Amino acid sequence: MSATESPPLENAALEEAAYGDERLAYRGPLLRLLTRPEIGALLGAAVIWVYFWLVSDVFGQAAGAANYLDVAATLGIMAVAVSLLMIGGEFDLSAGAMTGATGMLVILLVIPPGEFGGAGLSLWVAIPLTLAFALGVGWFNGTVVEKTGLLSFIVTLSTFFILIGAKLGFAKLFTAKVIVEGLDEGSGYDFWVKIFGAKWTRNDHIFDGRDTLFGFLMVIGFAAVFFGMLELSHTRRERFNATGLIVAAAGIAGALYGVWGLRHGFGFVVGASTDTVGSNWLYAAALALGVIVAAVGIGVWRFERVSDRGSFSLSGTSLRNIAIALGVILFGSFVAITLDSSSEDIVGFMLTVQGLRAIVFGFGAIVGVTLPVLVARKEGKRSPITKFVVMTGTSLVIVGLAFLIQSEATSRKFRAEVFAVLLLIALIFFVAGLMPLLFQGREAAHPAADRLGKMLAALGIGLFLGAVTIRLLYMTSEEAAATQAVFNYRISILWFIVFAVAASLVLMRTKFGNWTFAVGGNKKAAREVGVPAARTKTILFMTVSVAAFLVGMLLAFRLNSVQANVGNGQEFLYIIAAVVGGNLLSGGYGSAAGGALGALIMAMSFQGIPFAGWNSDWRFLFVGVILLLAVLVNNFVRKKAEEAE
Amino acid sequence: MKRARWIALGIALMMILAACTSDDGTDTTAADDGTATTEDVDLSQGADLTFHMVTHADDGVFWSVVKRGAEDAAAAMGVTLVWSPSFNDPEKQVQDIEAAIAAGTDGLAVSLASPEAVGPAAQAAADAGIPLYTINSGVLQYKGLGATTHVGQTEVVAGNGAGEFFNSLGATKVLCARQEQGNIGLEERCQGLEETFNGEVVSEFIGEDVDPTGQEATISSLLLADESIDGILGTGPNVAVRAVEACVTAGRTCSIGGFDISTDIINLIESGDIAFTVDQQQYLQGYLPIVLLFLEVTNLNTAGGGLPILTGPGFVTTANVGEVKALVDAGTR
Repeated sequence: MSATESPPLENAALEEAAYGDERLAYRGPLLRLLTRPEIGALLGAAVIWVYFWLVSDVFGQAAGAANYLDVAATLGIMAVAVSLLMIGGEFDLSAGAMTGATGMLVILLVIPPGEFGGAGLSLWVAIPLTLAFALGVGWFNGTVVEKTGLLSFIVTLSTFFILIGAKLGFAKLFTAKVIVEGLDEGSGYDFWVKIFGAKWTRNDHIFDGRDTLFGFLMVIGFAAVFFGMLELSHTRRERFNATGLIVAAAGIAGALYGVWGLRHGFGFVVGASTDTVGSNWLYAAALALGVIVAAVGIGVWRFERVSDRGSFSLSGTSLRNIAIALGVILFGSFVAITLDSSSEDIVGFMLTVQGLRAIVFGFGAIVGVTLPVLVARKEGKRSPITKFVVMTGTSLVIVGLAFLIQSEATSRKFRAEVFAVLLLIALIFFVAGLMPLLFQGREAAHPAADRLGKMLAALGIGLFLGAVTIRLLYMTSEEAAATQAVFNYRISILWFIVFAVAASLVLMRTKFGNWTFAVGGNKKAAREVGVPAARTKTILFMTVSVAAFLVGMLLAFRLNSVQANVGNGQEFLYIIAAVVGGNLLSGGYGSAAGGALGALIMAMSFQGIPFAGWNSDWRFLFVGVILLLAVLVNNFVRKKAEEAE
Repeated sequence: MKRARWIALGIALMMILAACTSDDGTDTTAADDGTATTEDVDLSQGADLTFHMVTHADDGVFWSVVKRGAEDAAAAMGVTLVWSPSFNDPEKQVQDIEAAIAAGTDGLAVSLASPEAVGPAAQAAADAGIPLYTINSGVLQYKGLGATTHVGQTEVVAGNGAGEFFNSLGATKVLCARQEQGNIGLEERCQGLEETFNGEVVSEFIGEDVDPTGQEATISSLLLADESIDGILGTGPNVAVRAVEACVTAGRTCSIGGFDISTDIINLIESGDIAFTVDQQQYLQGYLPIVLLFLEVTNLNTAGGGLPILTGPGFVTTANVGEVKALVDAGTR
């Protein structure tokens, strides 16, 4: 997970030996996770998803997901490849034009030689030839950049113009039109269309147990992450205490009883969706109590008792921060209560009364909750009891906010789903405050505990993803009867995932990945320590071309025709996606996963705007704001990360 | 691999050609212009009239039909046509107009895509007593330049026609899907739609033609977000084609209309997936000016009465798509 640009503290022995040196203070896996390059993009993607989920009815459903994933897939394949190249310190401005060029080439090679004529080849020959062409262009870009020492910006700009000229020229030359069509006439089409043109129609896949399985996986996933986090943040006992196991089992049973009772209420978390969360307080209490008892039980079983609880005290700064937090929350709540919840009047540039209300309240809530958490974190190092008091207070405030939202909000989403999620967050905050009061926090690495904790957290996240995937892929027969829309997931999404995972593994786990970081960081130094810089960069250029080939095939098999201007200018979107994903324009830092997330953010923004019913004229303004915010956040996170190291 | 050798030859030829044109670009002598880009179509049947058609044409699908119209008219009238495309280069267009005046042309048809740059040269021709017509672009400027009339389509009127067509299809809310942002021509098409359409119109930019799958996703997003949309007007042929799949995805039956002609849109009209496309009938933009010039020179007729002569909107629908398809293949639509 973290073996890329910050491997220094990986070795537990080294860490323990150096313990006591402040600069090498123990950084838990959590902190290391927060300093990954793509963390900003991950948060950004979550924020944008939640935002559009709130303002649109369709965006948060499978229909919306099918839509933005479709856009994210082709953008993302390119963004991942461009991210690798950018980490290696280069640009490829010809990447966009290449997608159309490969798509056109394969069609020209396949269509029968007629009046104007193609080459009439079988797809079995045409596709490898096209791939060879793509590799050749990538090799050309890389070799020219390396041999001449010119900026890749200039070299690939030339390739870009050559490609758009050639696309138009050859299209006219061979077909006398600006569009080439007729891929399906090629022999071998029936096979290759499965590789590049297949689609999964959600309507044809009925699975009535879907929501039960979804809820089951989500609950197990939550438990795994929860247990993993406890394991990562506490000191293990030398010998486990079996009594705790019994307490934990009782707690888990109670929590499960609560979940079972709330199955219909906690629609957002567990499956079905109704408006009855508030009325099932008995089950909600069982769930909350169960989770707390389970956490304490696990603690008694596995972790050492805390030795010093400290005494309650708050420094002047902390007191001031808490006062600010309370002030902001009260102000936000005041605005939420006084402003008319149904007024659609415009109060300013692009802003309605409702919008103002939501923004002031949301801002107040976020600031009002973040500040106390920071206080708790700071004071908690010295005094667990202070942390407990502050966290408990914060979680009570969140509960208050949840009930305020439930009584004030007009939309069902807020009353039911946001309400439920807020209660869950309050519960987690409470447990996070309670545990340090009872059990000793971790101050040194513990390989076995770290491994188990990471494994559980990864398992939990895997289960979440699996649950969401099942929900997206299948329909219940009830839904199928009610909907007329046809949801197709193109195979491009699968290619995107495969490509992103493969690129991540290569970057983080192989020698070539290290070379990439090295040549992007400092080429001269890299060369001097024996990194084959020229070969590394050429391979990176070829990777981008292969990605363009892949996208070109996906496009050609989907549309059966490619117009000469397809893809031109898209390279800027790829670079934007890579930057939004936390890759540095100057090279040497970043991640492939970041590029994928960047593409997801762009796709969600592009498709969210029509879903939200905004005027499309604002589209690029929105993209610009996201780009700027992403760069600022990434910059901030990176600085913090460097300070921490 | 004969084909490969041919491709290599093509690349080499293109490079040589590119080198030539860039060398000769500054040279304005008539002889060089003649060999490089101007084409003499001498179809005269003994008549001594020569008309020049100087356009910003790029020899693409659209302009090849205009050229065909002009050639057919020249043949019918028995006059000589000089066709000078400038490939969107206003400077070359000005040079070609000046060359036509110097050659003592009997009549001039000019497209005014860049009125600021090309206008003065065209006006000089009119001032010199040469009959002048503007074609395709220039409906706002033709009077000021002293042109007899303008032959073309106005975008607003074309949009009006689309609006009436949607009325007859019984649509209630139409999405006017634009493939460019800030293009006044496309905005006018939507504006024209709004003027005549009885229901509601939403005008949205849905992504550029360079990103066809993104266009499709955006249209289906808009449809899913607004259940009441039951018609889509694409302001270009590609957008209309993308709208077909987007409607299937959104599970809706929509009436779809488009602008201009492409192979795809013709096929989809034939299969009934698209209801119509608005056709500029650009053949007329080549044919009519030659006829009008001929009549003005030989018979002192001035058509139009000071108003522009509109070549569209013509419609390609399921009713006439069969015949139109044949005409498209023949190169006159």
